[in-house]
Amino acid sequence: MAGLSQQLLRRKPFAQPRGAHDGPELARTLGTFSLMMFGVGATVGTGIFFVLQEAVPDAGPAVMVSFLVAGVAAGLSALCYAELASSIPVSGSTYSFTYHSMGELMAMVIAACVLLEYGVAASAVAVGWSGYFNELLNSLFGFQLPDALSYSPVPYEDDVTGLVNLPAVVLVFLCTILLIRGASESAKVNTIMVLIKLGVLLLFVVVALTAFRADRFDHFFASGSAGISAAAGTIFFSFIGLDAVSTAGEEVKDPQRALPRAIMGALVIVVGVYLLVAFAGVGSQPLAEFSSDEQQSAGLSVILENITGSSIPGTVVAAGAVISIFSVTLVTLYGQTRILFAMGRDRMLPDRFASVDSRTMTPTFNTIVVGVVVSLIAGFVPADYLWDTVSIGTLVAFSVVAISILILRRTQPGLERPFRVPGYPVTPVITVVACVYVLSGLAAITWVIFSVWLAIVLAFYFLWGRRHSRLESGDHEGATR
Amino acid sequence: MTLVVGFAPGKDDRSGLELGALLARSDGDDLRIVTAAPARWPTPVAGGTDREYADWARAHGEAAVAEATALMAQIDPDVRVKAAWVEGRSASSVLLSQAGKHGARAVVVGSGQAGAYGQVHLSSTADVLLHSASVPVAIAPRGFDAPAGSTVTRATCAFRGDEQSRRTLAATAEVCARTGAALRVATFAVRGRTMYPPETGLRDEDMVMEAWIEQTNALQAEALATIGEPRPDDVRAVVADGRTWQSAMDRLDWQRGDLLVVGSSRAGLASRLFLGPNATKILRASPVPVLVVP
Repeated sequence: MAGLSQQLLRRKPFAQPRGAHDGPELARTLGTFSLMMFGVGATVGTGIFFVLQEAVPDAGPAVMVSFLVAGVAAGLSALCYAELASSIPVSGSTYSFTYHSMGELMAMVIAACVLLEYGVAASAVAVGWSGYFNELLNSLFGFQLPDALSYSPVPYEDDVTGLVNLPAVVLVFLCTILLIRGASESAKVNTIMVLIKLGVLLLFVVVALTAFRADRFDHFFASGSAGISAAAGTIFFSFIGLDAVSTAGEEVKDPQRALPRAIMGALVIVVGVYLLVAFAGVGSQPLAEFSSDEQQSAGLSVILENITGSSIPGTVVAAGAVISIFSVTLVTLYGQTRILFAMGRDRMLPDRFASVDSRTMTPTFNTIVVGVVVSLIAGFVPADYLWDTVSIGTLVAFSVVAISILILRRTQPGLERPFRVPGYPVTPVITVVACVYVLSGLAAITWVIFSVWLAIVLAFYFLWGRRHSRLESGDHEGATR
Repeated sequence: MTLVVGFAPGKDDRSGLELGALLARSDGDDLRIVTAAPARWPTPVAGGTDREYADWARAHGEAAVAEATALMAQIDPDVRVKAAWVEGRSASSVLLSQAGKHGARAVVVGSGQAGAYGQVHLSSTADVLLHSASVPVAIAPRGFDAPAGSTVTRATCAFRGDEQSRRTLAATAEVCARTGAALRVATFAVRGRTMYPPETGLRDEDMVMEAWIEQTNALQAEALATIGEPRPDDVRAVVADGRTWQSAMDRLDWQRGDLLVVGSSRAGLASRLFLGPNATKILRASPVPVLVVP
């Protein structure tokens, strides 16, 4: 048995990918534009449909600045991520990169972060979906589920509470079944979803601008820097998905040129759309309205109904949200199962997480566990706690990515890097600074949740993972590559 | 034992007869070639039209019997053959009732003329058989012919590691024991489609597939250890991977004298064949005759 410090610092060796599949592993077929669309598709929709009602009360009209700050932090992180992803071609997201570059202990810290990032994001998005679903029922059929079945029992400030958020639970359940059956969202479906999301948001902008009043931007900085960073922390969640561009990097013809263009292009589009939505939203109604009970769920639809007095535009927005957020939940859940799968392959989790059902050829056990946990969170925890929790996980993970670039450039100078971060070493350093700034605005309760979760994951590692790790048994045969 | 072979006259399709002869030579069975003739309207008092129809059906059946007998004489005069025509509502129901009546070991059919040459195509008759037979069903690819005097030299079991696969393997081992053929256990690993947008990278499905292959290798070894006696002399296990069923199938080498054995799901009624979606895909991609076992 290896000594403790050796265990904590042991890194996964770089192995040559097994070329056992037909022809080249991945044909480099993607162009900058398709890659950019991936980024936009994976990002838009994660939070923008719900985040205004959370962020505007914190920052006031300066929420525009918060969007910019969060966007810059996300864009820089994605650039750093792209260097790692291109030089360590493995699956399993940030967790795998860290295992290769910084060793087992840090890999587990990152695992804790990405489990929050994906698992809780799936719950949060499902809760948001539930609000729009109810809104849609209401405007189409004139009834909606009672509060007892639409809200979680956990109180948040003085928001409405209920027994369980049933639509969110059902949504996660449906996505779980789809994933067990081996469903996957094709590039074509993704494109359709992107168009729906963008179309719906543009509709919101156009309608909301009809009620625009410039005086609503008076006292722009009234909430001060603390308000801006608090809102940026919450908003950061809505930029999750930008890293999808980095992970697809190996399919690009000329990564050094295409990747930064795609990341920046996606970022500009996403930030542009978000700023438009924020600008139109803030200009369309008094600030106090954003914290009202009726806007707690399905915020964008309710704003439109208040403005126009007609339910038609709100219904269209709700319908678009219901369709496109469904796919966001599916993809996020999928990401979560595959990270657990990579951990199971490394024996940082019990083997069962890496077992594949012989009939469906999908990791059924793993998917069911994810489905159950995510649906419990979605059913019983209010989204307000969830968004900040997702942000903290993602921000910590991104900081570690930036730091590991600095470390790898020193320890592995000879590593082949198809893509190198422009402006090294300033870029990774600024990334860390930006992430830390956004982190500083998060509420104390978020830090408590994160610390407890991290402690649980690390305790599990010290008691179980450390001894069962594939590196412990010296068996690298099945190591993920 | 007897093999019941379905024969449709006038369709220029002898693939079923060729496969029947190959199987009969391999394990000494005799063939019962059956043609379905349309049944009469069950009226107590037959009118003129009904009698005329019955005469036509009889002539149709007898012509089919003559055609089948002549073809079999060309294909292999040494195989013991009985050809008959039987009235029935459909070809599949006739074949099933004949199989039951004669205690057949299997029902053999051809691919008809709708599919591509060299590929198995499911005619409507074969499709019904695969969802309702209680005996194995053998299907020949379109245009199949076996060299004179040849026998089955290798049986490949499509194996995926579940309980059903073990039964299929036992059935394949039994075929090998009867025919002296080599045994090959093959697992077809078809890589799942990647999710877009690829939140955690595009290699996820490769990772899942590698795990599945590792798992299946272990299960293959375990299952092969449990094969009873007589054990085939030549036993091999392979995994063929690909992005589609067809490309996975193409990765294996196929030769004349090969037979692919596929198990059916138990999703259907107890002790009836019922092809699952994957088995159906394997079947359609097969370049050699397929034996579907319950």
